[in-house]
Amino acid sequence: MSKRILHHPAVPIGETTVSWRSVGQLEDTADFRQWMDREFPQGAAVLASEEESETSRRSFLKLMGASTALAGFGMAACRRPEAYILPYTKAPEWVIPGNATYYASAMPRAHGATPLVVTTFEGRPTKLAPNGLHPDAEGTDAFAQASVLDLYSPSRSRGFLKSGKPVERTKFEAVLATLATDSAAKIGFLFGADDSPTRVRLIKELAAKYSAAKFYQYEALTGDSSSIALGDGVKLVADFSKADRIVSLDCDFAGVDFQGPVTPFFDRRKPEGKFYDSKADAASMNRLYSVEAAFTLTGGMADHRLRVSPSQVTAVAAQIARGLGVKAGVAIVSPELSDPKQVAWVNGLVDDLKENAGKSIVLAGSRQSLALHLLAHAINVELGNIGDGKPLLAVQTDTKGLGNLAALKADIDSKAVETLFVMTPSNPIFDAPTDLQFTDTYAKLKTSIHLGMRTDATAQASTWHIPAAHYLESWSDARTARGTHTVVQPMILPLYNNCISEVELLLALLSNDGKLLNGEGEKGAASPAYAAVRSTLSTLGGEGETAWKKFLRDGFLEGSLYPLVSPAPRGDMSAPIIASPPTKDALEVIFSTDSSIFDGRWIDNGWLQEAPDPISKLTWDNVALVAPLTAKELGIYDQIIQLETQFASRSPDDEAQNRTSPMIQLVVNGQTLEIPILISFGQAENTLVIPLGYGQGFDENDELKRGPKNVDCVGLVGVNRGFDAYPLRTSTTAYFAAGATAKPTGKRYSVALTQEHNAMYGRALAREVSTLDDEVKGSFSAQLANVPKQGNDAHAPPNISLYKQEDRAGKPLINDPIHQWGMSIDLSSCMGCNACLVACQSENNIPIVGKKQVAMGREMHWIRMDRYFAAQKDNTFDDGNPEMVPQPVACVQCESAPCETVCPVNATIHTEDGLNAMAYNRCIGTRYCANNCPYKARRFNYFDYNKRNPLITHNLYKGPFGVKQVGEAPHLQKNPNVTVRMRGVMEKCTYCVQRLQEAVIRQKRGQKQEALVAGKPSTEMTVNILTLRIPVDSVKTACQDACPAGAITFGNLLDEEKSVVVRSKRIDRNYDLLNYIGTRPRTSYLARVKNPNPKMPDAKFIGKATIHMV
Amino acid sequence: MANIFPRWSNLLPFKIAVCAGTVGAGVALAFTYYATPKTLNVGYQPSQPIPFSHKIHVDQLGLDCRYCHSFVDVSGVSNVPTGSTCWNCHQHVQRDSPKLAPLHKSMDVTYPGYDGKPIEWVRVHKAPDYVYFNHSAHVNRGISCQSCHGDVNKMEVVYQAQPLSMGWCLDCHRAPEKNLRPLEEVYNFGYDAETYISNNPQLGVKTTEELGLKLKEQFMVKPKETCAACHR
Repeated sequence: MSKRILHHPAVPIGETTVSWRSVGQLEDTADFRQWMDREFPQGAAVLASEEESETSRRSFLKLMGASTALAGFGMAACRRPEAYILPYTKAPEWVIPGNATYYASAMPRAHGATPLVVTTFEGRPTKLAPNGLHPDAEGTDAFAQASVLDLYSPSRSRGFLKSGKPVERTKFEAVLATLATDSAAKIGFLFGADDSPTRVRLIKELAAKYSAAKFYQYEALTGDSSSIALGDGVKLVADFSKADRIVSLDCDFAGVDFQGPVTPFFDRRKPEGKFYDSKADAASMNRLYSVEAAFTLTGGMADHRLRVSPSQVTAVAAQIARGLGVKAGVAIVSPELSDPKQVAWVNGLVDDLKENAGKSIVLAGSRQSLALHLLAHAINVELGNIGDGKPLLAVQTDTKGLGNLAALKADIDSKAVETLFVMTPSNPIFDAPTDLQFTDTYAKLKTSIHLGMRTDATAQASTWHIPAAHYLESWSDARTARGTHTVVQPMILPLYNNCISEVELLLALLSNDGKLLNGEGEKGAASPAYAAVRSTLSTLGGEGETAWKKFLRDGFLEGSLYPLVSPAPRGDMSAPIIASPPTKDALEVIFSTDSSIFDGRWIDNGWLQEAPDPISKLTWDNVALVAPLTAKELGIYDQIIQLETQFASRSPDDEAQNRTSPMIQLVVNGQTLEIPILISFGQAENTLVIPLGYGQGFDENDELKRGPKNVDCVGLVGVNRGFDAYPLRTSTTAYFAAGATAKPTGKRYSVALTQEHNAMYGRALAREVSTLDDEVKGSFSAQLANVPKQGNDAHAPPNISLYKQEDRAGKPLINDPIHQWGMSIDLSSCMGCNACLVACQSENNIPIVGKKQVAMGREMHWIRMDRYFAAQKDNTFDDGNPEMVPQPVACVQCESAPCETVCPVNATIHTEDGLNAMAYNRCIGTRYCANNCPYKARRFNYFDYNKRNPLITHNLYKGPFGVKQVGEAPHLQKNPNVTVRMRGVMEKCTYCVQRLQEAVIRQKRGQKQEALVAGKPSTEMTVNILTLRIPVDSVKTACQDACPAGAITFGNLLDEEKSVVVRSKRIDRNYDLLNYIGTRPRTSYLARVKNPNPKMPDAKFIGKATIHMV
Repeated sequence: MANIFPRWSNLLPFKIAVCAGTVGAGVALAFTYYATPKTLNVGYQPSQPIPFSHKIHVDQLGLDCRYCHSFVDVSGVSNVPTGSTCWNCHQHVQRDSPKLAPLHKSMDVTYPGYDGKPIEWVRVHKAPDYVYFNHSAHVNRGISCQSCHGDVNKMEVVYQAQPLSMGWCLDCHRAPEKNLRPLEEVYNFGYDAETYISNNPQLGVKTTEELGLKLKEQFMVKPKETCAACHR
């Protein structure tokens, strides 16, 4: 019997939306259809080949036979091995073995610290969550979530280096002692762009001690246009709760270009209100206009998006300024916009801004040109958007007076600085603009001292390298975006004795004898860094023991905001010269900030490397991205999308694990780079986007034979990864460079893309409505009412489940009267940023699998961040500008779960409280369940990823002879409440069942408390449901906790209206994924709402991105 | 040609098959019976670095379980006492007993061999792998230490009294009334249900079974039988 051919439901007649995830799907390649029809592509589920699989099936059987026979001879198994329990000798305060302890801390960052609550188990930090108590709390992003892994990174620097060679600590201490006594030393300090009150205080003391001391700050990808436009150390902080209209001029404020807490922005993307407690009201929503070159997370959220190359963003801003009649300050002489469509777009925007003067925000990308910043500021001033109580606050930070990298170079060249302390988290030898020739300048220094967590290029080039302590290991403090003074507490002593924090190093310099004290400090005395942080607090108004305790407990000092300033628009700047738009022979190259490794500092973080880029869905590498039309013009489109050939049912690419991308030769600024290229939708024509930070080191296993080169700069995770675009940049073209040419080279490079993995059948997966009346779809309320009736759900009859919901006695199977868990995911506020994905990874002990395994579709992430593009066939405004809809999909916990019925060993079963549970120790790995899962939410451990290092070539195929995970530390990050799965086991999301159990058990303890309080014998008390039910919305899943957008709500469905999740499930936007197949999922989705401006020329093409997958 | 095989050998293959079958079945039966926690683990009694006697401390001196296992009602794991807990008393009592040498080594700064390292107690009770047993969920709901750990108060050296196998867990999860106690009696090793009933006639129960059922209903004890209750 031949295999039944599935006919995918057709797109409804009259549907104008075309939707896709990948180019392959758009072009319907054979490769894509494989991902659709099969769980894994052909060949991924078998051993690759005899020589590649070091142990073939046959030799495996031989080995197994022999070892079984031998097992009988060994008598070792007869004795029970002794296990030991080691209690503390003196118990630390608050630590209860087995229970987590939580501390407030913060992650210092250039744009303002991220307030955190750190989960520790017996002193090991394992998980980060946002500090909900903090006034500037705003969730976490993927970088913050993944930063805990850096602490345990096997490639972490742990010893002193002198000129790249290991050296004793005492040698450096001697140098430091000499420096500490030489107050005339020509000494310089290069800090990161983060702001720390203790550091500010120490800088003053250093300036007093060292008469010639100079201070600088540098981070590769934080532009300085803003502080030039507004004043030294002045920055704008957005308060999105007050903003009705937001214009982003190439500013990815929701992604990598933070401009202030974003949670209020997302709260206002929900027409029913943050807690879903009012009727859907379009007027309560904000409206986002975005002008950008390539899709960013912010652009994906935009109601109106205009794609122009970065040089032309300034022209658009000038047009807006003209439309608003801005006169003050900047002289506008640039050519007017010529494209009538763009002019109409800007006119619509200008009218909207005029109507919302004082309630709007115009944000300029922080790496954009000074001209754009001047324009944006002039517009904001004209509209009256800046000031106390207004949506934009101009604040004076404490970074005033710090020089930049160019100033540092000048000072080194003029010998004003002879000894330099490099403490920036960036890597100036690697990432400084080429025209500064910083490497040569750096070599002129008498002594260069680098403090860093990685042995990167700067560490290797410095005279001395000091291993830095992680922020979870050191005492410090930081300022959030609005300036709230926030504590950075150590959770653990430095894992390696020689690791030193920035504050400790500065304090050693300030001491009389230059003694370097780190960690605990001297016996009997408080550690110097602790004392320094504490004394900073008292100078800022938190005096006394109580204030200090409160500071540690809450994590912040109340009311410690930056002072407000009101910078006037500057008029002394020369008029901006706007280059002509790019052409195919003079492309514009955008050096973008990478969503995985930022500026390159996280290249050794496996979680971030493996998290698919939110837009391109690429893992482990960077590539150049190009719009489809430009690719066709450059003649490379056909090489990227290899269409089905006449004689082969497979694409010439062969299997997915062998997927490659063509390489181009890019020439810009006189430099050449060969880099693979991929299609990116919605990107401005004639632009290339290249994420920065990759290509830091290569060994002999590199695919393109680039190594060995700089191999000491990176660890096992970062080696052989991607292509370095930093050499293409100069100071003036740090963000984008014009006049580039690209031509195909004929070479190809393997890419691990996840966008086609786990493609789902069916229809109307992600749904979208518009607040605007539509000719066909009706008014906003009519569209809302129609949300659950999209696709097959419109006409499929109600599904009667074949699987009984009752047991033989007629009792319902899901029968817990106390808790029934449920979740909803609001697509209206989800931007697709990966914070949930990484949070899940850190909470649930999910391993990384490496590039090769990802290419085979074996990534283990429990949450898959689907990203759909959808365009209107009749889009006459801009048909190359689709809408982007992200949709996180994890196990949806079906009540009638198809996976459960096919498991031969009952390893996946339903719990009474509505979870689809996994008993890992029962699973024998038949993978039937994954085959039967319509949501493709199950992941299989093909190898022992947790135990065997997947990053070493062929290592996984060596079985027990393979190299184990390197380093002594990685297991310390593991959550002790979750099983670490082994090879051959299926796994998936279980709504963080460990957190649910913990909450339920904690609530049970309450019964005892009640008995104690009542003072009556326990036999006289009656326990009811409410005693045992956890407080409303008191438990959060890891993904929900991490989400900066508040897109995920979770709770007990039996809490009825009191619970946010129940309210969210009762609104019109609620729908079940693949409802018509009758699985009755517990996770439901809320349709995305777009709020277009009816006066805009593209308004009628917006809000229709309901994804009909064919 | 003479027959090489005598006549009786005709039945030999059959006999061999029967014998082998019997032996095989015997091995299988023996394995399923003996290779279980019930026979392998019950009675496991390793010697400890300090021959700590629960009999003396609990039975004779009357220490409460929670003096040493202080977090049993707030944490999933019941902690083994810290060195300082022992030292509280033993810096005064029986200070010079040679049996306490390991304690001195870890706590007594004046002791010649002092190293401050914790005492390595040998683990006696271990739930099987992949099980997340939670003590607080049990002791706060009327299940006594005694139900799983046996008469620890009578043990000179602690041994494992119960199999701690999944079947054994489920026996109680299916019929918790057999082990339920009033919350006040959870840590009382001298508890006797019949005495309790006769001392508390106001409860209106006559048999121990009735008491268990009454407590089960009153406390709303509905032990989970689903996998995710213990495995996750």
